[in-house]
Amino acid sequence: MGWKRGWRRKLTFLFMPCVSSCFSAAEEEQQAQSKKGLKKQQKEAEKAAKKAEKQAKVAAEQQSAEEDDFAKDRYGVSALVQSQQKLDRTLVRVQDLTPEKADQLIWLRARVHTSRAKGKQCFLVLRQQQFNVQALVAVGDRASKQMVKFAANITKESIVDVEAMVRKVEQKIESCTQQDVELHVEKIFVISQAEARLPLQLEDAVRPDGEGEEEGRATVNQDTRLDNRVIDLRTTTSQAVFRLQSGVCQLFRDTLTKKGFVEIQTPKIISAASEGGANVFTVSYFKTSAYLAQSPQLYKQMCICADFDKVFCVGPVFRAEDSNTHRHLTEFVGLDIEMAFNYHYHEVIESITDTMVQIFKGLRDNFQTEIQTVNKQFPSEPFKFLEPTLRLEYTEGVAMLREAGVEMGDEDDLSTPNEKLLGRLVKEKYDTDFYVLDKYPLAVRPFYTMPDPHNPKYSNSYDMFMRGEEILSGAQRVHDAQLLTERAQHHQIDLEKIKSYIDSFRYGAPPHAGGGIGLERVCMLYLGLHNVRQTSMFPRDPKRLTP
Amino acid sequence: MALRELSSLEKYLGLKKPNKYSTQGDKKVPVLQNNQGPPLVGLITIACHLVKEAKRSDLLGESAESRAVVQQWLEYRVTRLDGCTKEDSKSILKELNIHLQDNVYLAGNHFTLADTLMYYGIHPLIVDLTVQEKEQYLNVARWFDHIQHVPRLRHHLPPVAVLRNRIYTGRHH
Repeated sequence: MGWKRGWRRKLTFLFMPCVSSCFSAAEEEQQAQSKKGLKKQQKEAEKAAKKAEKQAKVAAEQQSAEEDDFAKDRYGVSALVQSQQKLDRTLVRVQDLTPEKADQLIWLRARVHTSRAKGKQCFLVLRQQQFNVQALVAVGDRASKQMVKFAANITKESIVDVEAMVRKVEQKIESCTQQDVELHVEKIFVISQAEARLPLQLEDAVRPDGEGEEEGRATVNQDTRLDNRVIDLRTTTSQAVFRLQSGVCQLFRDTLTKKGFVEIQTPKIISAASEGGANVFTVSYFKTSAYLAQSPQLYKQMCICADFDKVFCVGPVFRAEDSNTHRHLTEFVGLDIEMAFNYHYHEVIESITDTMVQIFKGLRDNFQTEIQTVNKQFPSEPFKFLEPTLRLEYTEGVAMLREAGVEMGDEDDLSTPNEKLLGRLVKEKYDTDFYVLDKYPLAVRPFYTMPDPHNPKYSNSYDMFMRGEEILSGAQRVHDAQLLTERAQHHQIDLEKIKSYIDSFRYGAPPHAGGGIGLERVCMLYLGLHNVRQTSMFPRDPKRLTP
Repeated sequence: MALRELSSLEKYLGLKKPNKYSTQGDKKVPVLQNNQGPPLVGLITIACHLVKEAKRSDLLGESAESRAVVQQWLEYRVTRLDGCTKEDSKSILKELNIHLQDNVYLAGNHFTLADTLMYYGIHPLIVDLTVQEKEQYLNVARWFDHIQHVPRLRHHLPPVAVLRNRIYTGRHH
């Protein structure tokens, strides 16, 4: 360092004047100047010395720190996975972390649900879909202080690769799904980092509403969830709901295929409104306009007339109803059935109710984990059904309502509150959440419904209810072109618009009946939820078009 | 309204000769012109008079305490119940529900005039309750159903359906 040599020179200058005091005035002045200068230089030199000392200390610390970070290679942010290499590494699923795997060294990839540092330890909860497990990074012979600090600073929702030893725990970890084991982390790498600020906190999103109010903690309201659906769908509850929904679809297809049904696909862009023109979306179709199908009704029937005998279809249904209720969507998935029968439409009712019962049984037997997960956030009573399914006649239902004090006419349709009340009365009397109401009044059903042969005021039509809410509307269809024309005229429908529909019955048509259910509504009612948007992944209603 | 109540009461009490009533004031307070003295004014006054005439003083209470309670409920009927608003009706039903938790009838264990007049007065409220609300005010519904089935009591009022079993036992309704 340069100042060392200069300092000695200045020292010699300093000593010289002090030794001999009999100098001339000019020399004294010169000496005074150099004294001041020396003092200034002295101060600067002190300052520089202190700074250098500090720098040396920091450098020494860093060096020692680097020397102490023996775990440098065991953590960090990985380079972007662009398929650089094919690693032959098995990643274990969190749901498989049981005491059987104790004392094994495993790799896994999961999301960081929470991370909490406590002195020399960092507790992480690693989450994979519905399952989570506690992981521990502790200062020891495998992890350094810097590694623990790194782990504590990983942002929530980041995806990490972890190599850890599975250890059994004596006390059950109540807050995780894997309660009997804990991971002792040896390596942790961040594969995809999440931004620090999340639009909603997952812990808040799974908190039951009541608990939130009691403890003064936040819960997330529905609009926020739906606006940030990608994150909301990661919650354990959402994962469970949509896995169960997938199960419903699967069971529907399997049960019907076993019964000899054929799956068909029907067009959704159609030329005329099928269920009556009020609630249909119009699309521009080249030089004219077309409509989005309100139901596959007409095409299902045409398939029956085309000798397919028993058909079902799963596809979107579009209803332009400006209803902002808990159970209406503008687009939903319809599961529709149509079947030719031999002599009585009850053959079809039995087929449909048997399918529903098989679905309920399948859900009860194979999806208990999912049902319990949903119940943690949204408690409800288990779904009850009877075998064979309960079937009441409309007149019986009206009688039960009148007994409870409701006033209504014989041919009145059931209002929603009356449907719900009837559901409670049926539950109390027969102990079932699922039943069929048969022989509705003709006046309140669509024009293609077959009238009752013995009583012209009633019809061969039926509705099915789950927990007091309607899930299926069906009937025996009019399969005679002449009668169909009369019924359409009675309902004042323009015959020109349904000409091709009526034509399909002119060349021999078997007697047939059917019905359709809404997938989202069935899931909502089976789980005892209260809003159909909870069972629709990206719901569509009059106020929502994104995401 | 009050006049119809009084004529129903007469029929219940088995009084042979129906009286002629007139009314006074905007509130149509009933007046009974009596040969033996000044006219009787007011629903409660006339009702008590009719009961005495029919020699059914037991309907006014057996002991001094129960007589006081009966008078209290008769007052309640005229001052709180008649002409009450929607919000008041909820608090009245709540009060009644709490009182009827430990009492078979309003005045304890015996049927009295208080039950009759409260029944007439509260009928329009009960008619409008939904099944769920009737379950909420369970004791009132029980008492009401019992009173409306007392022979010869109902007369001018339509019966109200009260279910025997609870249907809203689930957690979320």
